[in-house]
Amino acid sequence: MQVPPCPPASPSPASPPPLPCLPPPPSPARSFPARGGAAASPAGRKPVAACPAFEGLSTRSLSLRISESADLNAELASKRPESRSVTVCSLKDLRDRIATVKNTQKITDAMKLVAAAKVRRAQEAVVNGRPFSENLVKVLFNVNSQLQTEDIDIPLTQIRTVKKIALVVITGDRGLCGGFNNYVLKKAEERMGQLRKIGVEYTIVSIGKKGNGYFKRRPYIPVDRLIDGESAPTTKEAQSIADELFSLFVSEDVDKVELLYTRFVSLIKSDPVIHTLLPLSPQGEVCDINGNCVDAADDEMFRLTTKEGKFSVEREIVRTETPEFTGVLTFEQEPIQILDALLPLYLNSQILRALQESIASELAARMNAMNNASDNARDLNKSLSISYNRQRQAKITGEILEIVAGSTVTI
Amino acid sequence: MTLNLRVMAPNRIVWNSEVQEIILSTNSGQIGVLPNHAPLLTALDIGILKIRINGQWSTMALMGGFAMIDNNQMTILVNEAEKAVEINPQEARDTFQIAQKKLAQAEGRKQVIEANLALKRAKARLEAIDATPPSPVPN
Repeated sequence: MQVPPCPPASPSPASPPPLPCLPPPPSPARSFPARGGAAASPAGRKPVAACPAFEGLSTRSLSLRISESADLNAELASKRPESRSVTVCSLKDLRDRIATVKNTQKITDAMKLVAAAKVRRAQEAVVNGRPFSENLVKVLFNVNSQLQTEDIDIPLTQIRTVKKIALVVITGDRGLCGGFNNYVLKKAEERMGQLRKIGVEYTIVSIGKKGNGYFKRRPYIPVDRLIDGESAPTTKEAQSIADELFSLFVSEDVDKVELLYTRFVSLIKSDPVIHTLLPLSPQGEVCDINGNCVDAADDEMFRLTTKEGKFSVEREIVRTETPEFTGVLTFEQEPIQILDALLPLYLNSQILRALQESIASELAARMNAMNNASDNARDLNKSLSISYNRQRQAKITGEILEIVAGSTVTI
Repeated sequence: MTLNLRVMAPNRIVWNSEVQEIILSTNSGQIGVLPNHAPLLTALDIGILKIRINGQWSTMALMGGFAMIDNNQMTILVNEAEKAVEINPQEARDTFQIAQKKLAQAEGRKQVIEANLALKRAKARLEAIDATPPSPVPN
């Protein structure tokens, strides 16, 4: 049905055109067109006003009240192909949309605060683990100093020619954390590519639901085990992972175990690193794949603090004092046996630390993502409100005009 | 001089108080420790730890680690520790039976190593609550 264009607005008291007419096409500057004379339109028809196109406020999602609106749209689109396609929406739809966006903003705000609170808990967990690792390092150093001249032959420290590597990938359990999981998995793919190039076989131990899903969907990647993570890393979890890796390594299924996790460096950046977990060095050094080794006595602690009103992460290196034992310390067993008992403890604590750092990074990424989402929601709310108010005011103006027009007739 | 005992797991301090006597299970047998013991460093097997306070004995299951005594301060570092009061007897028995079955079904070196570890742990937990394992355990 062809819709005729509206007659130019005139003060004449002529009766409004009977058919809904095409309001003048909207100018690109998003201003509202003067309302067409649809006031006297047949009952059941709501006033139609074109509103700017918003993402998500598409004609598909909105219920269009008038069938002619579709033709209106087509007319507009064909008449002015260079202007944006006009989305027809009503006051009610805009109101609903504003309410939805407000709710979403509340949710993202809450999620951000929850994530911030959980980061503090993860921090505390790391701090609680300090006494353990301190004492462990002290004893490790002293036992090693007794062993200097002897050859050490402990299963966990055996260096073999590398034919197969186990890559432990730590991801998160839930989404809504920005690119966190993607970075880790990308790094894993990168490492697998490197290994393939130098002809080394690999198998994957994946920890975390997101990683598990990723590897499950790719059956061409050899996977040893998929472990679901927990929200707070426990020693039981670390123990079961350590058992798995211990048995893989000692049974000579793999010759090297690498650990891929995200270090908690900053709130914005996600930095997955790969550390060599097994074979352990008897001195307890931690090395990454490029050969950079960190002494066991140096421990880096992370802390979430506020700087200038914003969250920030501080890392500090804490060095454990390793004094010589006073007095003569009897070794109940051979130093080698004692080392054999110490190293699994060290393995356990390394895995636990990696899990804790990974959780902290995931929470930081989630904080960031939810922060951005809240900001976006706020902006969207603002533009929607402006649009809603304009439309509302246009409607009121139109009604006033009708009344004025009607009253002038009677006068 | 009283003996002070600290038991630490990687994520928490399990015990930190003064005790009268300690009995540990090490790789080379059981050791009893009284106040003023000579300095000693020993590896601990997966087993139980008995503590006497005020004449009362209490037990804890330790999942491997080491113990160090120096100057009346005993420090035990373990992968995990469970106090006997925290262990659910039925659950411990079930875990033990599952571990036994797994060991019987284990194939290949890796699975045997894993199954053995799990069995040792389940056995230690059962011993901690004073229940003897239901059937002889193959080594």
